Order: sequence, then structure tokens, then C-alpha cells
Amino acid sequence: MTRTNLNRFGTLIAFVLLCVGFSIAAPAAFASPANVFNLVQQMATLAIVATAATLVMTISEFDLSVGFSASLAAVICFVLFGQGYDVWLAVPAALLVGIVGGAANGVLVARFGIPSFVATLALGTILSGFAFGLSGGQSLFQSVPDGFKSLARGDVFGIPVLGFWIVAVLGVAAFVLTQTEFGRRLRAIGGNAQAARLAGLPIVRDVIVTFAVAGGLSALAGLLLASRLGSVQHTMGEPLLLPAYAAVFIGTTASPTGAPTVAGTLLGVAITGVMVNGMTIVGVEPFVQKIMTGVIILVAVLLRRVGRAK
Amino acid sequence: MHKSIAALGLASILALGVSQGALAAGEKVSVITPFLAAIATGEMIEAFKAKATEYQWTVDVVDTAGDMAAFASRVEDATTSGAKAIVLVSVDPAQIQDQVDKAKAAGVPVVTIDGAKNASTVLNVTSDNYVLGETMTKFLFDQIGNKGNIVRFFYSAHPGVHQRELALDAALKANPEIKQVADHYVAVPGQVDDSRAAMDAMLLANPGDGAINAVWAAWDEPGIGANLAIEAAGRKGIVIAGIDGNPQAIDLIKACSAYIGTVRQGFGEMANIAAGELNTILAGGTAKADELYAPVELITRESLGVSCP
Repeated sequence: MTRTNLNRFGTLIAFVLLCVGFSIAAPAAFASPANVFNLVQQMATLAIVATAATLVMTISEFDLSVGFSASLAAVICFVLFGQGYDVWLAVPAALLVGIVGGAANGVLVARFGIPSFVATLALGTILSGFAFGLSGGQSLFQSVPDGFKSLARGDVFGIPVLGFWIVAVLGVAAFVLTQTEFGRRLRAIGGNAQAARLAGLPIVRDVIVTFAVAGGLSALAGLLLASRLGSVQHTMGEPLLLPAYAAVFIGTTASPTGAPTVAGTLLGVAITGVMVNGMTIVGVEPFVQKIMTGVIILVAVLLRRVGRAK
Repeated sequence: MHKSIAALGLASILALGVSQGALAAGEKVSVITPFLAAIATGEMIEAFKAKATEYQWTVDVVDTAGDMAAFASRVEDATTSGAKAIVLVSVDPAQIQDQVDKAKAAGVPVVTIDGAKNASTVLNVTSDNYVLGETMTKFLFDQIGNKGNIVRFFYSAHPGVHQRELALDAALKANPEIKQVADHYVAVPGQVDDSRAAMDAMLLANPGDGAINAVWAAWDEPGIGANLAIEAAGRKGIVIAGIDGNPQAIDLIKACSAYIGTVRQGFGEMANIAAGELNTILAGGTAKADELYAPVELITRESLGVSCP
């Protein structure tokens, strides 16, 4: 294999080796169909949030509110269930809140020039406050309709329902980013915002739309997570933030240009998911799991940078 | 890129090596919690591990640091990894009902310690949290003569802790001369530092003698944080009570600090009961009941034989 191919497929090969390693370590458990089913389910919400992060990183911005949006959407949905509202009203209402929150991020960034790191952290904290207030800080798990639970549970022809969500969301995102004019504009903005502005691209509108979509995807991830668990806590989405960006960064190591891509992000999600799942199954101590996960992310990204520098 | 492959390969080899050690011992029991950072949860898990050693079980402990999604995922992993039993600590299994149902369907018994009764689990060993809250609240209110101002440190996301809060709500209703002047939802993990910061702010917002007479802590760690703030501010006339019988809290009671009482849950005893019943279950028997209670004890200066100036 040539050096070019190794650079291009190295992360994918590493992922395969990881799977082979865990399959040898725990053949009956890790490689079992039941565990593959679990893995797909476990990766789904992270994959969707990481896709939201990928879209925003494509325009060279950050969205730190993704986890907060996920929590708030789930809380709103469950509060509405508690008041007797139907799934068909509660779910769109929760998604709408995510989209509006995301659009507000976009307005703060594009219209007012606030750095995305600051704007999304501030707005995310506000969303978190609403989630806390609405839930009363309690874990909500009553009055959940079966129709809602079926959003993220069970299977169709042996494939987990959440697997279809991954294909649908990431498929559409990948298509938009690579095959549409809108996607090309986003990449142009991310590549050189000043040049894009001088070229007359509608930067303000595109940035607002990108953040709005990211907010909507985050809300969707929160709803699917709530459906999978059957319960909601006002902080439930927050742990998604760091793994989502870790997945995007790992994914960039599989990209020829080092730019975020949906396929790369999916690979990053798969690597982080398999790492935690595999190490849990083979009984690696939790502190070792954390150290190894961090080291792998660091090594992958560092080597990519070293490779590009050469 | 050769090196990144090598790094991941190394991870696999290391995992393989560790797993060989883990699988070498007896039956595997997975202990999973989102709250290992809490001292009480840690105490229960350590006691369970000690008992498991007697039974020659291999115990895998997993902590998800408050992440409920990861908690659900790790329960799924334990179910597929061939664990003989799953022990959930300090969490209501209804919060991950689907995963608990799957474990039951796979024939893996699920035991909860400090959790809640559930149709898909074989046993919950706990204390009656409402009684814990009631006992502590009555003691604290008595200490301030059933009138004055209190502040509340709470964490309603934990169903057991929420029961204690309900006991406080009932007591406040029954004692109209006691006013709650501030409250704080405690951040977990990091509860001691978070509570200290919150108490700092409460003291500044309520200056003067008698502005705050007592601190009601839903468990001991927030109370310990509040005590740090009170000591640093040099405020007198404020008493603190908590729940759990945390050793640090007991030391503070002995040291004649503002911390005057805690209700000890028998955490070690809970874990011992759970392990004993699980041993019966793994041998083909059934638990004595689907919920068992460990005894509780009010610990005060008097009960410790301490006389303070």
C-alpha cells in the first residue's frame, strides 16, 4: 500500500484493526449480532449531534449549544406529554425550539459578529436554564406515549430503527454538503469567509441557516435519546458535546484535505463508540478507558497534523 | 499514519491483555452507576466488591459520571458481554426501562442498590428516603426551635433524594414559622465545591445574624460545602444537617462545627444485603422480597458523646 493510500485510509484501517482486536478479545460478545445492534443504537444520537457539529465546522465556526438544545427539546417534549399533548404536536414543537435556538445562534454570529464560541455558549446556557426550569430539575419518565418510544426502539428487518435515522440524517447531510450549491457555498465560507463575502455569497443567510439546521439536528438527537431511554433529565444532552467534536476531529484525519466531512465524522463516531463499547465488554477499568480514548484521539489528530506538515 | 494504526492496534492488544485477566476469575458481575463520584455510592460499591471477593465473583465497575445515555449503553454492553448479573447503584431503573427490560429478557438478573423497585429487576435494597428526609428535617427544625430561616440544597433528578425533598416540603407546610430563604440545585459531580460557592453567595445575600439559621442538605456533601463557606465567612448561629452518614460529616459533627447532624444510611449493609441475595439468585434461588431496607440511624453530637462549648 502506498503512502498516499495509507494517509487516506489509515483511520479506516485503524478502525478495522480496533474491531478485529476486540473481536479476538471477546469473540462471543463483541462480534455478536446483538452487540452490533447495540453499537448502532449507542452511536446514533452522537452521530446526529456530530453531524450538526460538522455542518457548523464546515463554515469554520463552533456550536457549543448542541447538547443544551438536545436537552431542552427532550424536556419540552416530555412536559407536553405530561400535559396530555399528542406525539404529533409535541415532537414538532420540540424540534421547532431547536431550530429557533440554532437560528438565534446564527443571528448572533452572522449579524452581530459575536464569536461563535461565545454566542453559542451563552445561548446554550440560556437553553439549559429553560430545560432546568421546565423539568423542575427532576427526571421525567411518566406519560410517555408508545408512539414516541417507537421512534428509537426496536428494529425493521433486524436493523435497529436508530440505524435508519443515521442513514437518513447523515445521508442527507452528506448529499447537501457535497452535491448542492448550498454545500459548496458553506465550504467556500469555511475556506475563506472574506473571499466568499467579496464574491457576493449570501454569508449572513447561509450562516443563520447552518446554525438553524444544527439546532434542529441537536433537538432531533435529544428526542431520539429520550425515546431510547424513556426518560429525560435536564442535563442529558450535555455529555454529547465533547464526544461530538472529538468525532469530528478524528473524522478530519480521514479527509484528504483535513476538512470536516460527514463520512469522516461517522468514522470518528464509530471509533469512539467501538472504543468504549469494546473496552467495557472486555472489562477494561474505567480510568484506563478514559486514558486510552483520550490518547487515541490525540495521537490520531497529531499524526494527521504531522503528516500534513510534511 | 502507520503510527496511528499502531496506536489503535496497541489499544486492542492492551484491551485483550486486560480482558484475559478479567475473564480468568469467577462469574462476572457488572456494577454500573452514573454517580461514582458521590462518596455514598463509592462506599456501596466498595462494600459490594468486598463481598463479591468472598463469593469469588469478578466485578467490573463502570461509572458514567452523570451521563444517562452512556449509562443505558453500558447496561446494554453488560447484557451482551455475558455478565451473570447487573447491579445498578444509586439510580432508578425506570430511567432506563428499555435496557433493563432487555437484560431481563436475556436472563440477566438486575439488582439495584439505593434505587427503586421495578418490574424488570429482581431486587432493590435501599433506605426509605422519605423517612430519611423526615428524620433529618425534624431534627434540624427542633434544633432551631421550629422557627427561623433555612436554605435548601437539593438534587431532584435522583428519585431517592427527591423523596427527601418532599419530606422537607411537608415539614415546611406544617411549620409556618420556618421560612426557606434560598435554595440551590447542586451540580453533580463537583457537589462540594459547587455547594460551597452557592453558600458563599447565600451568605452574602442574607447578611446579619438570624438571616439564615439552618442549612438543609439533601445529602452530606452539599452540607460539607456549605460548612466550608460558613467557616470562611466566620458566620455564627447557623446549623447544618444532612443525610448519608458520610465520614467527613461525622468528623465535622465531632469537631463541634456548624454541622450538627446526619442520618446514616447503612450503605455497607445495603451492599452486603444485595450481594447476599444475589448469591442466592445466582445459585438458582430467589430474593427474600423484591425490596429490602437497611436500617437508618440519626447521628448527632449527643449520639457521638461529644460535648461542645
